[in-house]
Amino acid sequence: MKTATTDSRLADSASGRSPQRPSRLREGFTINPQTVKQWRRFRSIKRGYYSAVALVVALILSAGAELLVNGRALIVSYDGELYFPTYGDIIPGNTFGRDYEYETDYRDLKALFKEQDRGNWVLMPPVPYGPLENDLIPGYFPPYAPSFESGHYLGTDQTGRDVLARLIYGFRIAFAFAFLLLLCNYLIGIAVGCAMGFWGGVFDLLFQRVIEIWNMVPSLYVIMIVTSIVIPNFWTLAVVMVIFGWTQMTWNMRTSTYKEKTREYVLAARALGASNTRQIGSHVIPNTISVIVSFIPFSIAGGIFLLTALDYLGFGLPPPTPSWGELLAQGQNHIVTAPWIILSVGISISIVLIMVNYIGEAVREAFDPKKHAYYQ
Amino acid sequence: MDCPAKNIAALAFGALLTAGCGSETNIHLELGTTHEPYAPPETAVVLPPIEVREGDGLPDTLPEDLVWITNDEDPVFASPDAKRGGTFHTSISGFPLTLRRVGPDSNGSFAGFLRPNQFGPIALHPDTRRAIPALATHWAFGADGRSIYYRLNPKARWSDGVPVTADDFVFAVQFMRSKAIVAPWYNNYYTERIRDLKRYDDHTYGVQGANAMPGAEMHGSYGIGPQPRHFHVLNEDWVANTNWQIEPNTGPYQVTKVRKGKYLEMTRKADWWGNDLRYFKHRFNPDKIRVDVIRDPNVAFQHFLKGNLDTMGLVLPQYWHDKATGAAFDRGYIVKYWFYNEQPEASGMYLNMSDPILADERVRFGIAHSMDFERVITTVLRNDYDRLSTFQIGFGDYDNNDIQPREFDLDKADAYFDAAGFETRGGDGIRINDAGQRLSFQVTYGWPQHTDRLVVLQEEARKAGLELVLDLKDGPGSFKKMLEKKHQIAWSGWAAGGLAPGYWEHFHSVNANKTQTNNITNHANPRMDPLIMQYRASTSLEERVRLARILEQMVHDSGVVVPTFRVPYTRAGAWRWVKLPESLAPRTSASMFSAFADTGGFSGGGLFWIDLEEKERTLEAKSDGESFGPTTIVNTTYRVQPAS
Repeated sequence: MKTATTDSRLADSASGRSPQRPSRLREGFTINPQTVKQWRRFRSIKRGYYSAVALVVALILSAGAELLVNGRALIVSYDGELYFPTYGDIIPGNTFGRDYEYETDYRDLKALFKEQDRGNWVLMPPVPYGPLENDLIPGYFPPYAPSFESGHYLGTDQTGRDVLARLIYGFRIAFAFAFLLLLCNYLIGIAVGCAMGFWGGVFDLLFQRVIEIWNMVPSLYVIMIVTSIVIPNFWTLAVVMVIFGWTQMTWNMRTSTYKEKTREYVLAARALGASNTRQIGSHVIPNTISVIVSFIPFSIAGGIFLLTALDYLGFGLPPPTPSWGELLAQGQNHIVTAPWIILSVGISISIVLIMVNYIGEAVREAFDPKKHAYYQ
Repeated sequence: MDCPAKNIAALAFGALLTAGCGSETNIHLELGTTHEPYAPPETAVVLPPIEVREGDGLPDTLPEDLVWITNDEDPVFASPDAKRGGTFHTSISGFPLTLRRVGPDSNGSFAGFLRPNQFGPIALHPDTRRAIPALATHWAFGADGRSIYYRLNPKARWSDGVPVTADDFVFAVQFMRSKAIVAPWYNNYYTERIRDLKRYDDHTYGVQGANAMPGAEMHGSYGIGPQPRHFHVLNEDWVANTNWQIEPNTGPYQVTKVRKGKYLEMTRKADWWGNDLRYFKHRFNPDKIRVDVIRDPNVAFQHFLKGNLDTMGLVLPQYWHDKATGAAFDRGYIVKYWFYNEQPEASGMYLNMSDPILADERVRFGIAHSMDFERVITTVLRNDYDRLSTFQIGFGDYDNNDIQPREFDLDKADAYFDAAGFETRGGDGIRINDAGQRLSFQVTYGWPQHTDRLVVLQEEARKAGLELVLDLKDGPGSFKKMLEKKHQIAWSGWAAGGLAPGYWEHFHSVNANKTQTNNITNHANPRMDPLIMQYRASTSLEERVRLARILEQMVHDSGVVVPTFRVPYTRAGAWRWVKLPESLAPRTSASMFSAFADTGGFSGGGLFWIDLEEKERTLEAKSDGESFGPTTIVNTTYRVQPAS
């Protein structure tokens, strides 16, 4: 049983959280022993660690989604020449001897080359459909059920678009959105929160009131108004979200800064004549890092959820952008007739949000200051 | 009235009914009783007499040479087998914000329950499209070509028993012109379009409109309905005071029960004055109509499957083919009805000519040839819809059936786009002109369920080097953008109604480049304007039909409208106990299970009835798991073969 640390100042200073105490790990590369401990602790929490590994792998794969899930071929060999259509401009059909100027239908081309058997070949990605392509079969009505034969491993949605492709591209967009939101919100939130806590007084009082008032603005309505004026895109949505999202972090940072700035090491730094920037940048923020880090996973989950909810309601990214929220709305409509839509997206959302929460839990544990006190 | 009212509704109803505190919000009107003779309320503002402009005005005495017309020779369309009784259960998506028919917030979906119960002087026969008697028994047309005289049925009564007289029509004009009702559209219509209304005796009056038109169409434009003069106290508090008052009406049903936020109930009048009229007999059969508020359509559908709602519209392919399946359908407890009707339709992509690129007709033609509607119909729409051939259709003789819509043809699209200067394609396959402009347009629309259709068109249009950017807004938001003419391409439709197509509002140059007009294409053609005016002013049906066909052709030639789809039918599911006439519905019917007279502008509603014995049988069979066999009834009598 660990001994409760009665004097947190003692515990903190003793645990060496002051950043001036790096330990040399290898020649030319130093890592704070504190960080090493935290990392070990994080790794020891298995479900959080494996969730993190899985999520990073998924992110890396989705970053290269064009190579895995795409209507464009990976490689086309035509008349002895190799083409790589995945990235860049479209290659019109007449390049490969077809009679049209628009983008080549590579699945069609593959079948044709096979039939002609003249040494030309097409290598398609494992899932040969893009997220925007309508694979419609005349006489049959979408949504089409999952089938290995057609390559729609999770079926199609109500306009014949591949569910798997839309899931993967939607995942990438949702994550990018959540990351961007996180970055901007934290930058503003931390800056304002630190300033409030550090300077206190009238500045603090004023900003508290400003934030309180700002929090009362119903952001959903603002988004609805914005979408009625302009076609929302990734960036406008992110900007609106940041405008209303940065306030949350300020409260935590303000409290932490208040606490830290009265610590001896900050007072000492000030007595030595350190500037405000140095006091905040080198002493206060590094010591509140555990607060920041343990919030990150939950903010990511919040960001994903927010975009999904907006898309579900129809105020998010404009169609035909692949999105989980839009799939969810479709799935709800086809819950009996096409259960594969709601199952695919429902399970995906659940898994991702659970994983992110596991990571959050592990990070919080790893950064728990009580675990690293000497007096345990 | 002194006891504290439980809520505003009770308070308002208190004013209408006899003194006393209503229990909750349940109130019961005494229907069909006779009231004291009319005395104007003291608090009412004295309304000015109807103001008549220079050059307008009806004669002071009834012209003697009038030829009085009635109609008792058209076929009856209700089933003599119809049985009275039972309760019809239906739903709306939101509780009404008011029970008024005019003024702020009165245009909600419950207006569809209130307005059809206020009869006009005449109605339109749902098969022959001719006038049939309603409040009036006879009518006559004035010599000036823009006035009608009506003779009222002396039996006609308001729901409180007060007779309907010519004074109620005079009052209607005063009422609609009054600022107190806060309804600018009505203020304007009753000033600009209705020029005079004169009482000749208790049951005879005349009305004069702004311009001449054929008789049949004049009924639609100038045959205004009455307002209960004895009921309304017009002052500045009118809007607030009447919010939850139940206004006397002339139709078969009256609101009798209001449970705020939950449901409304309407009851059939015990001895309605119209019961025995030729065209109203055997109609409006259920004793009660219960309207539940169910916000989500999916939830409403579940209620329908349980039998809590008697019918459900199944117009959308997804509903008919996918949702309307399962035990209740397989065993025939719920019957599916599919009726091909003749309803005016106008839906399309409206290209804004004030856009510099869309001003070029070659671009507009190119766009039309890049739209693969056939592909949408055969897949997403499951072959249910038809391609609409022209801007508007469904007006009988007026239709120009010679017009063929521009078909999906990439070669033609290529030729048009090349000619318009969009010869090269960018890296993404979208065409660019010499000035570096991309061939890319925003398509503004307001129905999320249309996204399906648009994404298919969007993908196919890319093949022509044309990019469509989908601009989905909420319904009112999209319409606002279109009326402000801020769109490039509007994906929309018009609730085309009445007997004849309209061109002035959609294509005349006076309405172009102006906000809040229906000319959303900003179409202006000096050759077309005089023809439109000639069409509007003509009183000869033959000439109007000729002009309408020419005008429709000119609209087609201009390419400002890419006609999209027409829904040539109405579809619904109904529990076995809800019975319909053998033909299901008259030709112009917009809905088979409309409880009231009006459906789609014609008097073809209120034909079904509830068979209580059948209900018992069905419920018994349901609990025993017995099957009647799946039943789907299709009537294709009025099916028009699709264009192309």
